[in-house]
Amino acid sequence: MQSDYQAYARDLFDKDKVNSKPEALKGIRVLDLSHMIFGPTAAKTLGQYGAEVVKVEVPYQGDYWRSSSYWGKFWKHANPFWQFINHSKYFVAIDVKKKKGKDLILQLAEMSDVVVENFSPGTVDAWGIGYRQIKEVNPKIIYASCSTFGQYGPFRYMPGWDLLAQGASGMLAATGHPETDKYFKVPDFYGDFFPGVYAAMLIMIALNARERTGLGQYLDIAQAEILMRALPHFTYNKATGKELERTGGNDPTMSPSGIFKTADDAFVALAIGSDKQFLGLSQAMKEPGLADDSRFTKAVDRLKPEHAKELNLKITTWIESQSAQALIDLAGEFGFPVAPVMDDLDISVDEWRRERGNVVNFKDEMYGDFVLEASTTLMSGTPSRIKWLTRPLGYHNRYIFKELLGLTEPEIQKLEKERAVGYWDFKVGQRPPVYYDIDNDPLFNYEK
Amino acid sequence: MSRWGDQLSQIMNPDGKAEALDDTLVLDLSFANFSGIITASFFAEAGAEVIKVEPPEGDPARVMTPYGETVEGVGIPFLSEGRNKRHITLDVSQPDDLEKLKKLVIKADVLIESYAPGEMDSLELGYRQLKELNPGLIYISLTPYGQFGSLAEERAGIPWSDLTSQAESGLAALIGDLPDTPEPYNWPTRAGFYAAANATAVEAATAALVALFYKRATGEGQMLDIATADAYASCVGIPPTFGHVWKHSRMRYGTLDYGLCPYGFFKCKDGHVAIACFRDQDFRAALKILGRWDMEENWRSLLDRITDDVSKVKELNDEIEKTVAKFTYDEIFNKFSAYAVKAARSKWKGGGMPVTTRMVSAKEVMDIEHWQARRTFSEVEHPVFGVLTLPTAGKMSETPPRIKWISGQLGEDNDFITKKFGL
Repeated sequence: MQSDYQAYARDLFDKDKVNSKPEALKGIRVLDLSHMIFGPTAAKTLGQYGAEVVKVEVPYQGDYWRSSSYWGKFWKHANPFWQFINHSKYFVAIDVKKKKGKDLILQLAEMSDVVVENFSPGTVDAWGIGYRQIKEVNPKIIYASCSTFGQYGPFRYMPGWDLLAQGASGMLAATGHPETDKYFKVPDFYGDFFPGVYAAMLIMIALNARERTGLGQYLDIAQAEILMRALPHFTYNKATGKELERTGGNDPTMSPSGIFKTADDAFVALAIGSDKQFLGLSQAMKEPGLADDSRFTKAVDRLKPEHAKELNLKITTWIESQSAQALIDLAGEFGFPVAPVMDDLDISVDEWRRERGNVVNFKDEMYGDFVLEASTTLMSGTPSRIKWLTRPLGYHNRYIFKELLGLTEPEIQKLEKERAVGYWDFKVGQRPPVYYDIDNDPLFNYEK
Repeated sequence: MSRWGDQLSQIMNPDGKAEALDDTLVLDLSFANFSGIITASFFAEAGAEVIKVEPPEGDPARVMTPYGETVEGVGIPFLSEGRNKRHITLDVSQPDDLEKLKKLVIKADVLIESYAPGEMDSLELGYRQLKELNPGLIYISLTPYGQFGSLAEERAGIPWSDLTSQAESGLAALIGDLPDTPEPYNWPTRAGFYAAANATAVEAATAALVALFYKRATGEGQMLDIATADAYASCVGIPPTFGHVWKHSRMRYGTLDYGLCPYGFFKCKDGHVAIACFRDQDFRAALKILGRWDMEENWRSLLDRITDDVSKVKELNDEIEKTVAKFTYDEIFNKFSAYAVKAARSKWKGGGMPVTTRMVSAKEVMDIEHWQARRTFSEVEHPVFGVLTLPTAGKMSETPPRIKWISGQLGEDNDFITKKFGL
């Protein structure tokens, strides 16, 4: 490595300069009609790169995920995992079932570039805020409908979410130990989050296309299909006639590979991809002859089940004699993939993630200090950023209705009285934290 | 309403439509790294000209394939990601080939690489050299620990793998059976596909498309630095926040769920069926349908079914498991459907909405009429590799992603690219 490269790279991605750099999606407005995880993640991803995201929720009810949490435990009267999905958004609460509410949503759609929704297929259309209706008021709109099975086809009315998409896509059947009855889902709603970012990617493709053609379009984004896109199982099955079974901790595309226990009772993962990596491993093991064994020299031979099994037995014994740190040092020296198995706590206190700004300590005006993932992708020119954490239901009503829609205070109060717009009820996740002085919050009471 | 559903299949028909990115050139120099390869694929599906540049001996990713099974010597994941790509070989230690690469760089919009931090820079092919040739270049580096920082230095020599990325980003620690089950069933476990590579690739491609959008307005390129060892945590966001708020880690939960119970797939007579009850009314509906109203009193409210007490929740889960085992999938599906229709038609909205599905294998998925109607799987023919079946995702009315061809032989498109770009 050139001696000054580190310094060059560090400067290129300097955390202290992020806020003085431009935002790539400044000027793009996203109307986020979605709830739970899949749709909101797509909108958040665009928001972190500078799009203005206006999230519309049902008054006195809100996004159900506000009031849910793991193990029923909340943090400062909020679901801590909701912060990651909805930071830097504007929160308005409008009742689409009231005529005046629907009109407000249509007005917002008229001045937006992107709409994201993830209700059961057919719902937004029935409410009069589907693609058909919105493209009448805004022909350049990019309208993303996110669902489990998609907007057309025989299953189009079947509702679903992460768990069902994992089951229906073949993903669930891929994880666990062979010859057992247990199939493990990929945890933490991977089946919502991965498709959520995927949806943002498709929207970015549409935004790039619109720069060229001026045309908006309709996106039918089915999460089960996105999970299928991540599986080699289909191509494998058609090409070989066989089905890929579950393989526990091993990766059948790498040999040797697996999750092993070290001398100091830690877990590490090891997975060898290239012949050069295998040579490095054999040297680290002080068994250089292994790489000359014709069963192991070439990857296609190492991967054969009987050879992979034999190698894994050797690796198991070798790793049992090494500490985790020694293995990581050897991996760096000899050039083969090894990593510690890290859990929630390890990751939350991990230094290198902080150094990079992947995991950040964010200081928020309402919630104080909080730790969350920012983005794993650092951009030198137009970096992503977190502007604020989430806000109570309807928090930005005044700000958005006055600034964007030009409503007056009496007009807003009339809408409030008619319950076309609204706020939180006392439910956890919707309301401000108890210590927070909402009555004197200038944004909540914007020009009141 | 139903007519709109029918119209949609016409509106979304991809045949003969424009491509979003057919003005974009992507060079994929990634090496032994599927997160780079898949990032490039997303561009290729959207119409970009994607050239995978390999050294003469080829990318080791060519044979990262289940059990070493290949089609004519090329691994199946590599072939699947060969969609709409061009494959060329260049030996950058030779001045002629280096010049050819630079000619391509001058025309490129996006470059993807995955060598150790500083390695490209030392070959004068780093961002700071190439941006002089092409200020609009979007340069993507994918490495385990990124381009700078303590581990980028200390562990610079450790290459990428999907399994190590899963392990280090918090995924493997969460998959596996409960602590009281025998080893290795209670050990950290791998998600049975490239879960980390795909998460990283979609994040990298999204950021690169954001950069491309910015370039259209300003002409400016930039560098993207991605740490693949953060793949899962940065995708789902939960691990660091959980560790910070609760100051401990979650244990592996087997087939249970951290949120509520019952929430999972349960073994029935002829397969596995989803039973997932969000609200009290959904739980009540499931109990009625399964003939287990006797359980209602003990597990009445959501607070009873929250899963922080694992022994308690296992008790509930075991009861549901025993009950589900008595039915076939069709019995449960038909009961659920009939109930859901009745509840939806009722004026009383507290009836719950029981939803279920069957766990299917990849092979079974391809036989399902729904996915056939949506053309989720494409068959493409290659003169050497024969017919391959590949999934695609994301339907777009104006510029749909699609699969046009497969390329995968080493140097398959050397002549085509030499001619096309006058190398």
